[in-house]
Amino acid sequence: MTLADYLPIALMFVLGVGFASVAMYFSWRIAPKKPTPEKLAPYECGIVPLQEPAQRFPVKFYMVAMLFVIFDVEIIFLFAWAVRFDQFGWAGIAAVGIFVALLIETLVYVWKRGALDWNVARRARYRRVVAPERVQEEAA
Amino acid sequence: MIDYHALAPELLLAGTVLAVLTVDLLRVEKYWVAVVGLFGLFLSFIPVLTLGFCDTLTFCEDTGTRFLFGESYAVDSFSLVLKALFLGSAFVAVLLSVGYLESDRFWQGEFYFLMLSSVLGAVVMASSRDLVTIFVALELVTGPTFLMAGWRKGDPRSNEAMLKFFIIGVLSAALLLFGMSLVYGTTGELTFAGIRAEAAGIRGGDLEALFTVGVLFTLLGFAFKVSAVPFHFWTPDTYEGSPTPVTAYLSVVSKTAGFVGLLAICYLAFRDATFLWGPALWVLAAASMTVGNLAALRQTNIVRLLGYSSIAQGGFILVPFGAAVAAGVTDVQLEEAFFATVTYLLIYAFMNLGAFAVIIAGGNRLRSAEIGDWAGMFGYAPGLATMLAVFFFSLAGIPPLAGWFAKFVMFRAVLSVGGGWAAALAIIAAVNSVIAFVYYAKVVKSAFMDPAPEHVAVADLARMPTVPSLQFALVLTVAGVIVLGIFPGIIAEIGELTKTFASGF
Repeated sequence: MTLADYLPIALMFVLGVGFASVAMYFSWRIAPKKPTPEKLAPYECGIVPLQEPAQRFPVKFYMVAMLFVIFDVEIIFLFAWAVRFDQFGWAGIAAVGIFVALLIETLVYVWKRGALDWNVARRARYRRVVAPERVQEEAA
Repeated sequence: MIDYHALAPELLLAGTVLAVLTVDLLRVEKYWVAVVGLFGLFLSFIPVLTLGFCDTLTFCEDTGTRFLFGESYAVDSFSLVLKALFLGSAFVAVLLSVGYLESDRFWQGEFYFLMLSSVLGAVVMASSRDLVTIFVALELVTGPTFLMAGWRKGDPRSNEAMLKFFIIGVLSAALLLFGMSLVYGTTGELTFAGIRAEAAGIRGGDLEALFTVGVLFTLLGFAFKVSAVPFHFWTPDTYEGSPTPVTAYLSVVSKTAGFVGLLAICYLAFRDATFLWGPALWVLAAASMTVGNLAALRQTNIVRLLGYSSIAQGGFILVPFGAAVAAGVTDVQLEEAFFATVTYLLIYAFMNLGAFAVIIAGGNRLRSAEIGDWAGMFGYAPGLATMLAVFFFSLAGIPPLAGWFAKFVMFRAVLSVGGGWAAALAIIAAVNSVIAFVYYAKVVKSAFMDPAPEHVAVADLARMPTVPSLQFALVLTVAGVIVLGIFPGIIAEIGELTKTFASGF
């Protein structure tokens, strides 16, 4: 097999581009064009849009959902170990211990970063710790 | 029993990643996070050395290639050389980031955390010897870089860079997985050695067509990662919009990781299928060089120029792969091609990181990446302008700078194969080297000979210091480019070590 054997693929490519452009050209050329305001309006699932896109949604819901998934996955991994923990012995306990320690570090991280604070007022207090200049600017 | 010595670089780096995250929570100045990261990179470099010089050490039992986890993970001279390259490049990339992140209000701790995670992926990549491990490694390299590309949160161009990179990255991962699933489906094997053994029986059988599609899609997935034309569309926009240290990281560490995956897959798993990947990569190499260089000619932004230049350099790196197009290519010629690619990657890391270091230093002063604003730099920053010339001429391949040796081994590998197709590729590469010289020289000429534009406050710029970490990075890369250019034997020796990899197990 050399480069010449790729000729069918090249032909296929040319045919594909050719077919698409011929079809698009004729539909543009032949189709009648009678624009009305309705036709020019943005299309959204058939219904005329009544309002601007949905209201803003507090980002903290996503944070909690993400954290939930992380710890949910932890349970899945632990479950597989728990049903056979007596056969894995101390090596298994050590491995699971490292795994849980990693997750605890993540927990400490999100906690300190304020992702677990539902209350915005408390988050402002946290920000004073990490980014004092930002709080000063906001106060000014 | 797990060989912990062989795994030590990865374990130490993983420990560093966790330590960086913890240091960030302490109430210390943020540059300490970078210091911990640099220290960790240095620490994980030590076991790479002890593994490499194992036969001369008393406490170390030399066992040749060390296989872990079945045949999925191998520590041999090839993977050690590439691990050293990744750790070294990451060291420079962190140095480049320190000043940049300090200069504005960025989140710093998370940045180093993400960068080091990505490096961990690259280090794992060098040892991966099965499809699953290599995919996980590739995603670990790419995942954090999506976020890093969007680090300038307030800048729409940075957001655009991140979004384009993310969408293309996900698309390429999907294509790669599709290809891998077909390869696994037809051969029933995940390890490279197993695939190679099974692939021989597939030839001429019912499954040959399916296997061919699988191989091509796998190559395609990697072609996105190394931004080979025609899969390069994300590259210029992402490079321009990302923070410049991230661009440097993407164009060196992330790209090299893609090439390492391509090397391992082509030369181990699909070793007996050169008739499949040879022609495909021939086309990609020719297209990348030509399109990259021609587009670079017309750039006015220096970061975009380096973006297209890195596409073209990627084409040069692919040339030895393309040389395998010839029918009846021998093992010796394949080893030569492998050696050429590894050598090019090693030298490319030095010169491209250096070029970006200069651009960051210049950008700090000028607050502009337009080539027109860089005119007359020699007048107020002679050191910086000289280094700009060193790196750009090295990228163009002018002796005595390291770039010439990379080009030399590349041409030698193609010409040693011989035959019409390989000769054609050599001619395309030669023409492109000349085109490349034009745009590299144009920037250098502008910096040395043209007068500085009027809105540039020359007197202020002359007094502006370069950040110490950036100076350190510049010294490292300049020394590398000059020493390796004058004594190419050093890099040839290292490249020679990796050849055993291509000669099979």
